[in-house]
Order: sequence, then structure tokens, then C-alpha cells
Amino acid sequence: MIMHFKRQWSVYLWYLIIFIGLIITILPFWWGVAASFKSNSEIFKDLAPINYKAFLPGFSLDSYFAIFENDFGRSMLNTFFVSITSVAGGLLINSMAGFAFAQFRFKGDNIIFGFVLLSFAVPADAIAIPLFKMMRQIGWFDTFYALIIPMLANGLIIFLYRQFFLGIPKELIEAARVDGLSWFGVFWRICLPLSVPVTLGAGLLLFVFQWESYLWPLIAAPSPELHLIQVTLGRFSTEYEMVWNQQFAASSIAGFLPLVFIYMFQKQFVSALTGVEQK
Amino acid sequence: MVPYLFLAPALIGTIAFKLYPIFIGFWESLIYTSFSGGVEKRIFVWFENYQYLFDDKIFWKSLEITAFLTIIINPLQIAMSLGLALLLMRKSKFIRIIRSLYLLPIGIALPIATIIWGLMLDPNQGLINGLIGVFGIPPQPFLVSENQALWCIIAIATWKGVAFWMLFLLAGLEDIPKQYYEAAEIDGATPFQKFRYVTLPQLKRTILFVFVADTAANFVLMVPMIILTKGGPLQSTNVLIYEGYRSGFYYQDWGRSLSIITILTVITLIVIGLQLLFLSERNEGIKVK
Repeated sequence: MIMHFKRQWSVYLWYLIIFIGLIITILPFWWGVAASFKSNSEIFKDLAPINYKAFLPGFSLDSYFAIFENDFGRSMLNTFFVSITSVAGGLLINSMAGFAFAQFRFKGDNIIFGFVLLSFAVPADAIAIPLFKMMRQIGWFDTFYALIIPMLANGLIIFLYRQFFLGIPKELIEAARVDGLSWFGVFWRICLPLSVPVTLGAGLLLFVFQWESYLWPLIAAPSPELHLIQVTLGRFSTEYEMVWNQQFAASSIAGFLPLVFIYMFQKQFVSALTGVEQK
Repeated sequence: MVPYLFLAPALIGTIAFKLYPIFIGFWESLIYTSFSGGVEKRIFVWFENYQYLFDDKIFWKSLEITAFLTIIINPLQIAMSLGLALLLMRKSKFIRIIRSLYLLPIGIALPIATIIWGLMLDPNQGLINGLIGVFGIPPQPFLVSENQALWCIIAIATWKGVAFWMLFLLAGLEDIPKQYYEAAEIDGATPFQKFRYVTLPQLKRTILFVFVADTAANFVLMVPMIILTKGGPLQSTNVLIYEGYRSGFYYQDWGRSLSIITILTVITLIVIGLQLLFLSERNEGIKVK
């Protein structure tokens, strides 16, 4: 009887902690989306004094129309363009490198692989300033090149592909070679089509990295025509400091797409990021 | 020849845009740029930029804030993500949905999280002041207070960070063979003993990885400073990476900017080196991922 009571008690405690944690996790999110459908005066009215209406969504789409008049659409298109090119280019060059590391023994392979691993220990924000100086020297400053090309090579993605390609049976590749397929043919027609799961995870990572990047696009491409979505958001928060509903609407749109993709491919995303196969 | 052709594009990209900038950063920190008469003049000054930093009160204050932030935020985030990961290993009907909800902040980019939290913490009309008012607590200044701003930034970064790092710890926990726990149970181990003698040793490499990666990430944490505080109020959130950013982009003092970034990079490497040295066992190579 006492045992039973003790067990029950620990279950309740567990639910309580989980519940409080969930509220802290979801509150900003919930409040932001709810308020994005309200007018500004409505948002402030619900807050002072605070009442339950602060957590109910409004019905107005005005803030959403307003942000698209403020060039939000342009930055969304830019972000789509930059993300899609980065995913395509990044998948191609990193999978090729992964293939080289998995298939061949060559002079310096271990040292080169060491450099690749080292490169993903370097935080992107720490090299942003010297990279910015470099972009100015080579004339890529304030162009799409600066936003895309430095972000393509990625040690983590190379590593993911290498691990996957190591698992492809050698006999399969030898048979294809005997049939007269070139090495590029082996890579393109045999190995890549097999790598759908890792490509999904890796592509999603590359997409999310670009969609969520802020500091680099902020300093590398300051022209408004080149602004990416997070930069525009940051700009909104200073230029329209008191226009809360537009900040919420822009945040909701910017946050929506990565969330949908991550939840759709949660398994692949987690596997790619953590290296642990998800059941 | 063939392997090098496959390797070339990614390798050139890695060297040119990830490794070479570290070198450039150091090189440029040895140069003083003057703009006398509208003409840009670059003079090689050896370590003069560093010498100036040595007598610079703003720099020392910034170093102090960075040290304080590092000591607080990393253990806090690791402890919270480990605690939460353990809580989420429990079997429950709703565990899938609960886990998914807890992972929500991963999908929210830091600038978005920063903006929303900035509005929540607004001293006049913010949601948090409204909520604590219900409990009779007077409104707090939060981000406009010298004493509270850094803690607010810690809270924002932790809201986002805990979910992210927990993902690795959860994956690590899932990877521990169930038989170990069954064996421990047969031997009559208490839950604490199971944690101490099964979970902790098995999870050690994951924890080490998360600790190192989290530390490296927090040394360059500056999005909340850029968007919300600009290093203020009264320099209270002016961490080294932000001071370096500001010297360059606000004052065009690139020598100073890159000296600070170089110092920060060296500090990061030393701290990570120490973590690896003290926390990883001998002859037990570091698990990269």
C-alpha cells in the first residue's frame, strides 16, 4: 500500500515538473503566434492588466499584410534562393568528398580528413570578421556569392556521407567498375541513389543552417535587396520597435518552415545531427 | 588522381573559407589602419594592438563579463539538459508528444527567440511583468537593468540551448543497452546507483562532447546583444565577441577588433583543451560525434 502510494507520488511529481517545463518551452511560442493575429492596441490592452485574452489568438491578418508591404517578401525569396542553392551545392561537393574518403586510400588521406574534422570545430561566428575582410578583398562583399559559397563546404556533412558510403558493399562497386562504369558513374549512379536517408538529414541540416543564419548575412550583404529573413527580422525589431504585431507575424513566418521540415523528418534530422540511428 | 578530383571542391572550400580566415584574422590583428586625409594607410605594427588592449578598461571589463557568462551558462545548460533528458526517458503514454514539444526551440532560430523574448521581457508592457504582477511581484526592468540584463540573455540562450543539447543527450541515453539496466536491477541497484554506475559512465563521451561544443558556442554568443542590448546597459552584456564585432563594424578599428577575436579564439582553445584534458580519460580518444 505504502509502496503504491510512493510510486504514484513520484509519477505526479514527474508530470508536474514536465508540465512546468512545457509551459516555459511553449509560452513564448504560443503568445507570439496568438499576438500576431491581433492589432497592436489589442495586444497591449490584453497585457495591462494581464488577462486570459493575452493567450487567445486574434482574427486579424493585418500584420501579415503589413510585413509584406515592408519588403518581407523580398527577403523570403532571397532566403529561399540562398537556402536551395546552398543545399544543392553543399550536398554535391560534400558527398563527393565523403565518397573520396570512403572509397580510396591516397597520400595524405588521414591528414586531410583531420583538417576536415578540425574545420567543423571552428565556430562560424568567430571567423565571420576575417571572412568579411576576405570577401571585400576578392570583391564578393555584398553579393549572393558571399552568402552562398563560403557556406557550402561542411565538415559535418562530409563526415556523414563518409560513414554512409563506408557501409556500401565493395563487391557492388567492383562489379560496376568491371561493367565499365567510370568512378564518377559509380558515385553518381550507384552510391548517391542509395544514400537517400543520409541525404535527407544532411540536406535538412544545410537548409536549417542557412535559413537560421543571421550574423554572416548581416555583415556580408548589407544591401536591403540582399537581406535574408533573419536579418530583416532583426531590422524590424529596431525599426518598428513598437509595432509588436508585425514583429510577431514576421517571426511566425520565419519560424514556421524550419519547424515543419524538422518535424516531418525528425528521425533523419536527429540521426544526422547526433550520429545515433533513430528507431 | 581520381580521389583528389572528388575531394577538390569541398577541400578548397574548407581551406579557403574555414581555416584560412583564422590565419587572416591573426595577420590583420598585427596591422594598424589609419584614415588620414581620406587615404587608407596600412602599417604593420607587430603586437601594438594587443599592447593597447592591455591598458584598455573596456577590454578588461569585457573579459570579466565573458568569464562570468562562461562559468554560469555552460554548467547551467548542461545540468538542465541532462536533467530534462533523464526525465524524458521515463515511459509514459504521452512521451512522444512531450518530447516533440520540448524540442520545439530547436526549430526556432536564435534571432526569432531573441525578438520574442525581448518583447516578453519588455519592462513596460511585457508578458513576464504582467504574469509576475499576478503574484504581487513589482515590475522588473529586465534588459534595461545593469544587474539583470546578462541574466536575461542567459535565460534566452538557455531556453534555446537546453532543447538543442538535450537532443544529443537523449540520443546518447537511447544508445545505452537495456541489458545493463536489467543487470543492475537484478543486482538490486537503487535508481541513484543505476545513474552513477551505468548511465554516467556510458554517457560520459556524449556529455564531454556536449560540454565542449556548448562552451565553444557560448563563447561566440552575441545575437541577443546585437538585437537587444548593444552590449549595454553600462557595458553589462558587452562580451568579448560583441566588443570585437563593435570595434570593427561601428568604429572601423579592425586592428583592435581582430586582436580581440584572436584573443577570444586562443581563450576558447585553451578552455576546450583543459576540458578535454581533465574530463576525458587517458588513451580514450575524443568521440567526435
